[in-house]
Amino acid sequence: MAELELSGVSKVYGAFNALRDVSLQIADGEFAVFVGPSGCGKSTLLRLIAGLDPVSGGRIAIGGNDMTARQAGQRPVAMVFQNYALYPHMSVFENIAFPLQMERRTKDDIKREVSRAAEIVQLSTRLQDRPAKLSGGQRQRVAIARAIVRKPGIFLMDEPLSNLDAALRMEMRAELTQLHRRLGSTMVYVTHDQLEAMTMADRIVVLNGGRVEQVGAPMELYHNPANLFVAGFIGSPPMNFAAARVDAVEGHAARLTVEGLGSFAVSYDGKEVSAGDAVTIGIRPEAMLPGAGEAGHLSFRMTPETVERLGLHTIVHAPVGAKTFTALFNGDPRMARGSALDVSVPLAQLHLFDRNGAGRSIRDIQ
Amino acid sequence: MTFRSGAADAPAFNQNLGAYLFLAPALLILFLSLLLPAAATIGMSFTDISFLRPTNFVGLDNYLRLLSDGRFQQAVFNTSYYTLGVTLPTMVLGLLAAVALNRRFPFRVAFRTIFYLPVLTSLIAAAVVWVYIYEPYSGPMNGLLVSLGLPPQPWLQSPNLAMTALIIMAVWRDFGTAMIIYLAGLQDIPEEIYEAARLDGAGKFAILRRITVPMLSSVTFYLMIILIVQSFQVFGAIYVMTGGGPLGSTETIVFQMYQTAFGYTEFGYAAAMSTVLFFVILLFSIVGTKIMRKGEA
Repeated sequence: MAELELSGVSKVYGAFNALRDVSLQIADGEFAVFVGPSGCGKSTLLRLIAGLDPVSGGRIAIGGNDMTARQAGQRPVAMVFQNYALYPHMSVFENIAFPLQMERRTKDDIKREVSRAAEIVQLSTRLQDRPAKLSGGQRQRVAIARAIVRKPGIFLMDEPLSNLDAALRMEMRAELTQLHRRLGSTMVYVTHDQLEAMTMADRIVVLNGGRVEQVGAPMELYHNPANLFVAGFIGSPPMNFAAARVDAVEGHAARLTVEGLGSFAVSYDGKEVSAGDAVTIGIRPEAMLPGAGEAGHLSFRMTPETVERLGLHTIVHAPVGAKTFTALFNGDPRMARGSALDVSVPLAQLHLFDRNGAGRSIRDIQ
Repeated sequence: MTFRSGAADAPAFNQNLGAYLFLAPALLILFLSLLLPAAATIGMSFTDISFLRPTNFVGLDNYLRLLSDGRFQQAVFNTSYYTLGVTLPTMVLGLLAAVALNRRFPFRVAFRTIFYLPVLTSLIAAAVVWVYIYEPYSGPMNGLLVSLGLPPQPWLQSPNLAMTALIIMAVWRDFGTAMIIYLAGLQDIPEEIYEAARLDGAGKFAILRRITVPMLSSVTFYLMIILIVQSFQVFGAIYVMTGGGPLGSTETIVFQMYQTAFGYTEFGYAAAMSTVLFFVILLFSIVGTKIMRKGEA
């Protein structure tokens, strides 16, 4: 078990800055998830931590020791790859035993450790099989067992569930969370799937364009996204955005006008807004409620273009001003495509972002 | 010509007819150039055909003669020695060159081309050049030995050395093929496997021994079969460089077959040798294919 510290880490490929000045601390035993869209640098960052690629700048410390110059095999880490990276010519036993053989451990020792790891991942009966005979989920378990036997300070996982089907992914998600609890080790997990990040992480690191956009607990990111990118990335379906204009600022309230939503006042606690500013409002699909709202609600009308009934939820897409909003209603309320619908949003759940380039959040949601 | 996609009243025959028509020219060439001569050779092996006197059916006489023919047994030994001598070093050198050239470094493509060039040269032209290289008094090979302080050798003139000289030339010529085939095999090994091995603490030698070589096993079998079959059929280089000598030390099966047929006009006996060689090669091919299929499964 070990904590991980990244200070000013950067990675450059030719003229391309894959990572810029990433500084992070991941505590001992923490389950940290790097999340972001394709090409955001999350896998690159994991490879730098593993020692598979050298850093272009900055420092990587594990358990307080500088690992920046150490080779991959000399770092106290184990990695689970997206495509499992099992040795196809070796049996399950030999795959799991390989790192121990490289450490020149005794045969008895190897046998004991492999049995223990195989038991944890429930593969004790498949030890003599080749990986080709196993299902995707079982192969992933072999890869995990191979990581477990190394007793690493940090487990690194690079999109380990992305090759599995949806049902198996859900099952493995729960298993990985249990495994983390059982082993109590530090885990760094990379995914592009915000659902995986939300369900598994103690702390999420949102990356975009080689930079860290925000670090925080899943619900912190959900309720208080630091900027437009995080707001749009975390949450499913994604947050609705609309351009707004600040008409007036009075004390702790700003009066806004939004095309399709009219004019309304919203409290805010930033000092960065003044009359005439352009801002962006954000409304989570699940914050929208059917029916006209009471005081303290923003109410408006929309005409659904599509109504998707999922049983537990109903998802409605409807034009609002120049945008198409997505609303997520509980259950199966009576609404139909083409018939106008009253909708309300508690003003307290309205997000507000500045529009001077950065799209920073300028309103805390309590 | 129209293509039908197998409607209920137009069974597979119509579809297959098109396929057979397309295949016919190739099948005809194959039949005339390969199957017919092969069948004729097997037929001839049961006769004493020589084109100089009337031909008689002799049954298994030619085959029985082979069993007791000391010269043929020497040719079998020479061929086996040559095959072993060429196959193993060619594969080892080809693998090492492929592993080295599979990394990124400057002039990588130039090195690949240089190593592959011998494969592209004409065998006869290369053999003539090698005769010069092995020339005992002014040849570069002895020049190299002398410059290293070693005594010069009668490469192609000594019964003890001539076969080794031929093997060296064959390895020089063939290891480019082995390299290319191994390079293709190496590129099939996913980079992630090597990365996993590095993370598991394996060094370069351990990766080569535990990951690369075993993962190339089907390529190795394929290559081994190709090289064995090719070496069994060696003729051109021997014809140009040693003529089977000195003292029959480089006389291989195919060379002896050629001499028996065209030198001594014993076509029936030569056909029996050819038939034996054919079945030995067939056996190797079948065993090789079976092992490879088993490996893939």
